[in-house]
Amino acid sequence: MDRWYLIASTLFALAGGAWGLWSVLHGTRSRWTMASMVAVFGFQLAFLSARGEARGACPLRDTGEILVFLAWSLTMFYLIVGSAYRLSLLGVFTAPVVVVFHGVALFSGLLDSSPERVASHNFWGEVHAAVSVLAYGALALAAVAGVMFLVLDRLLKDHHLTGGLFGNLPPARELLVSLQRLLWLGGGLLTLGVLAGVLMPRTGSASHLIVATLVWLGYMALIFTQQTRGLTGRRLSWCALAGFVISLAVFAFI
Amino acid sequence: MDLLCLGLNHRTAPVEVRERFAVPGHQLAETSAELAKLDGVAEGLVISTCNRTEYYLAGEDAHRAFAALETRLAAEIAPDHDLGDHFYHKQRGEAARHLCRVAAGLDSMVLGETEIFGQVKAAYAAALDHGATGPVLNRVFQRAFSIGKKVRTDTAIQEGATSVAGAAVELAEKIFGKLAGCRVIVVGAGEMSRQTAQALVSRGASSVFVTNRSFERAGELAREMGGLAVRFDEWTAALADVDVVISSTSAPHTVVLPAHIQAVRRKRKYRPLFLIDIAVPRDIDAACGAIEEVYLYDIDTLEQLAEEARHRRQRQIELCESIIGAELEKANLPGV
Repeated sequence: MDRWYLIASTLFALAGGAWGLWSVLHGTRSRWTMASMVAVFGFQLAFLSARGEARGACPLRDTGEILVFLAWSLTMFYLIVGSAYRLSLLGVFTAPVVVVFHGVALFSGLLDSSPERVASHNFWGEVHAAVSVLAYGALALAAVAGVMFLVLDRLLKDHHLTGGLFGNLPPARELLVSLQRLLWLGGGLLTLGVLAGVLMPRTGSASHLIVATLVWLGYMALIFTQQTRGLTGRRLSWCALAGFVISLAVFAFI
Repeated sequence: MDLLCLGLNHRTAPVEVRERFAVPGHQLAETSAELAKLDGVAEGLVISTCNRTEYYLAGEDAHRAFAALETRLAAEIAPDHDLGDHFYHKQRGEAARHLCRVAAGLDSMVLGETEIFGQVKAAYAAALDHGATGPVLNRVFQRAFSIGKKVRTDTAIQEGATSVAGAAVELAEKIFGKLAGCRVIVVGAGEMSRQTAQALVSRGASSVFVTNRSFERAGELAREMGGLAVRFDEWTAALADVDVVISSTSAPHTVVLPAHIQAVRRKRKYRPLFLIDIAVPRDIDAACGAIEEVYLYDIDTLEQLAEEARHRRQRQIELCESIIGAELEKANLPGV
């Protein structure tokens, strides 16, 4: 049953993204993207609660679950930021990322078809996993906002000022403010995640914690540089995008 | 009872005629009430803007009502003028259609402009308060407002800025969002830069600095906009604090150079900087546009944006007219 929740969620993300893109290309505001993302969020919750029930623990036991949890976190932050800052187009950019995460989880065999019940619980271990994935949701959305800024920046620089995409993109400064707040939020959550990781009992190699600490240091350096010295919107956006893609890639290999 | 309209506008009368018939805002209610007392007139309302003066009446006999109004106008305002030269007469459906076109901005000098809607509403409210309107004008005007709104929301008739200043404001809003708190420096106190700066101020921009070779002229413009005059040899220092630079000097060479911006980038923490060059020859070195956080636009780009917006609005006229026609047909208004 949990698989069907995930398929329904993916279909809503696909429909919301496609509808939003169609609206953008026709120069109108998409009224359904936000609604479809609410449906995406609802089905993600249903999936995660079914998996949590089966596991008897936070559903972060296989890579498929981690990807869906990440997509859920991304969707949640989109619903918070998108509605608070009127960044409705953010949904059009977020939906494809959600589809990719769900798609990989569904069709790559990364999702355990019969999840086993977890025998023993470790509080710090669960906090580490849950808070870290939440952090990456915020950082993923920061990367999405960065992509939107880069698109707008290119259109403004090249004087392509009349298309539907240009008309629907939020103002550059609002995108940068959202991006910075998401970096702060993601950075804060990541700090908690790393601290919980330090406190949890470890067996075997510490490479995961070392990589997590390096990623955390990278994000802290980015936030510190932005706050003290300042960065151009373009550089900040590229850094947010690169930071997320690199950390995702690194964790995929360890 | 018939709906009637007698009026003149920017197409039918030059400004020296329009100004004689203009009714100041504080006299709209009184004038409307006087109209309703004319022979053969049951209800009356006057709309007066810089581009038009229109009298809307409801009366049993159109001929008698028009004659009474024309006699009054000739006697009080233009005894030496033949009103027929400049005024248009519209009755029943044609008058209602005309009012809807006015409310929707289709009859305005700048197609689709929004100010007229508020002006017609204010004129109606004044007449209503003084009891000058009745069942015919009340229903016709209320319907015209809803049709005007529908036209504006269902079409692109008011989309895009149609002036250079408006296009600059739209771009500024695309870069900064709300302009509240945005700081502006005007380099060269010409008319075009004044208009652009004022358009930005009207949308919330604050802290306007003005610099000009003549410090006295800079002071005048700064006072006009509640800003601060800066000596011409000191303006680059202000660059660190501003978000928008409007340049319009008559200098034969470039005034704003990449080196000026490079010198303050760090201090600005690389915040976006919007450069508007409305001078010919250009004031801002094109190389400034290559700096990452700088968005540079010259007069041609802004004029092109305004021109495209005007064309887009022109292409909407047919759709607007069909909405007005369909809505009026559905409304079944009295006097129409």
